[in-house]
Amino acid sequence: MVSGSTSTRNARSMGTTKAETDDSTAGKASGLARRRIIEDWMFISPQLFLFVLLTLVPFIVAFPILFTDMSGFNDPQVSGVGFDNFTAIFDNASVRADYFPALKRTLVFVGLNYLLVYVFGLSLALLMFEFGVRKALFTVIYMPLMLSGLAVGYLAVMLFSQETGNVNLLLMDLGLISKPIDLYSSGTSRFVLPLMVGWRYAGFNMSIFLVGLLAIPTDTIEASIVDGANYWQRLTRIYFPQMWPSFIIATTMALIGAFSVFDELVAMGALYVNPEAKFLSILFFTYGFQLDRLALGMTLAVVTSVPLMAVGLVLLRLQRKVQY
Amino acid sequence: MAVLNPIPADSDQQMIRAPKPKQFKNAKKRRRLYGSLAVGLLSIYAILTLIPFYALAIRSTVPTKESTDLHFWIPEADDVNLDAQVGNLAVFYNLDLTDLKRDLGIPVDDFLGARVSLRDLSETYDIPEEDISDYFSGFYTYNGWRTILTDSQFVGALLRTLFITLVSLIGLTLLSIMTGYGLAGLHRRDQRIVYKIYLLQMVIPAMLVLLPQFILIQWFSKLVPGFADPGFTRAAVQLGSIVAINIKGTAFSVMVFTAFITGLPKDLEDSAMLDGASRLGYVRHILIPLLKVPTVGLIVVQLPLIYNQFLEPFVYLDPDSSTLLPYIQTTVGQFSTNFQVIYAAILSSVIPLVAVYLAFRKLFVQGVLAGAVKG
Repeated sequence: MVSGSTSTRNARSMGTTKAETDDSTAGKASGLARRRIIEDWMFISPQLFLFVLLTLVPFIVAFPILFTDMSGFNDPQVSGVGFDNFTAIFDNASVRADYFPALKRTLVFVGLNYLLVYVFGLSLALLMFEFGVRKALFTVIYMPLMLSGLAVGYLAVMLFSQETGNVNLLLMDLGLISKPIDLYSSGTSRFVLPLMVGWRYAGFNMSIFLVGLLAIPTDTIEASIVDGANYWQRLTRIYFPQMWPSFIIATTMALIGAFSVFDELVAMGALYVNPEAKFLSILFFTYGFQLDRLALGMTLAVVTSVPLMAVGLVLLRLQRKVQY
Repeated sequence: MAVLNPIPADSDQQMIRAPKPKQFKNAKKRRRLYGSLAVGLLSIYAILTLIPFYALAIRSTVPTKESTDLHFWIPEADDVNLDAQVGNLAVFYNLDLTDLKRDLGIPVDDFLGARVSLRDLSETYDIPEEDISDYFSGFYTYNGWRTILTDSQFVGALLRTLFITLVSLIGLTLLSIMTGYGLAGLHRRDQRIVYKIYLLQMVIPAMLVLLPQFILIQWFSKLVPGFADPGFTRAAVQLGSIVAINIKGTAFSVMVFTAFITGLPKDLEDSAMLDGASRLGYVRHILIPLLKVPTVGLIVVQLPLIYNQFLEPFVYLDPDSSTLLPYIQTTVGQFSTNFQVIYAAILSSVIPLVAVYLAFRKLFVQGVLAGAVKG
């Protein structure tokens, strides 16, 4: 990004000197510039068309639907209901009973997951950074990212289910617990899922932080060592202030990603048997595809996402500020 | 330090300097100790990371009736009970009776009643009992694998996944290179606006887009003649919409190429233009060969995401033209209590990508560490 802004400046200064020194070609140059813009757009437009169509146009399509009673994708009779979908979160007992527990579960998950981004990612990155990047260890630690969310969910079931979970069987055999852990109880699933997701993304988060650490100029680190700073001081005064972009990227990804966690939950039986795995993503999905409450589901999704996206936009701004 | 300090060392500094060698030695020793401690910790974590993979491999061979016991290795096959009835075995092992007859040397035209026991078979057709036991011992351990690999839809689903992954990766890379080249430098306002539009992708939660995107794509799909009837057109449109979603570009893909192309020397393009290259020619012959680093960076990040995509195929594809993961989810639904089949199915979806990962592990490590620098 730094290189981007400098070359912008270069190009601008070059453009002005050209125009100043050679007036006769000015008209020709602007023609060339116009041609360049058109050509640039020919390169940009194919992907931009798809991106706008599939990511931004859906919002335009969605907006009027929020104010209707559209129940399914092929609902023949759609009529306007004003703001009923928005107020349903507070008036409608069944929606309230669905929405608030799901919101709570999602928030708890997002929080724990964010904690584990640091517990796994940052500590692994620091270990790797201080004592040399070992390719073999990196390869193994990064490997769980090759698993699908679905596989991670089934692994959670395999390891922690009450009667057949490997971890349960092992702990029972060793006599460490007298009663097996119940994956489907609210307490357990609250911790098992963040643990599994943290494990899956450990290598990814590690590499985000590792990249931040590797970008720190080594002379500042050496200077701090020579000056006799202890490790904690080195972390808080040298590493962390220079790793801001990594923290912001990790935060943005962890927040937005964890909010949309879906595949793992499906594997844990969220669509049918396991009410403890009904997070907001599952709620929106079932409202749209199973329960004929499409407009309501979309409204809930919008209402929940707006604050989240606001936070995300602030983080994006912050990131640009840090980078420039 | 001495170089930086031209003043001759006075007595004070000498006092500080005197114990230095010993301190330095100690620090070196301590550092080595910490180093081995850290490698030890990392190794323990790496082993813990591998345990679920190992457990999954073992569990895919553990019959469901033994799943309440802890297994550290592939279980020994129990001898099949010779009083078991063929009908029950057929249901339990998902057995094709024609195969059974052929493999045991029973005339194919003979009718086997469901209640015939294996002992009866052995007596009627004069087959040694060990042969029957041997035949069934494979089923005991590898029943899950047999069920998955012989399922008529498995290969099709795997091929569709590979097809979508390949087409999406190529399409995404080419389109993102074009976008990156068009935006390179971010000199103009329009370029910066487009760049910011792509950055928005990072903050839009997937769950928010899902339902309206589905409405939109359904609406477009219905415009295609023949979409309403099951058949090739319908499957092609559905797979095409998945590919379109995958190649539409992400904040990451655009950032990677824009930053890298911006960093290239400007003379490169100018001299190519002087030699009479068109801009498309420049991209094809000069730019693309230079983009190995960002391309690898993009592919190693996107490959697992696209191969492991579940939500979109689950929503958009019909069950008989499904990709691997939705197929596995529906299959697992059928065998909801047969853990052997479930874990074999999951492992069969994991193995291809892990194999690719291990084969190209160097590129993955490089790509992740280099690609993230640009992001």
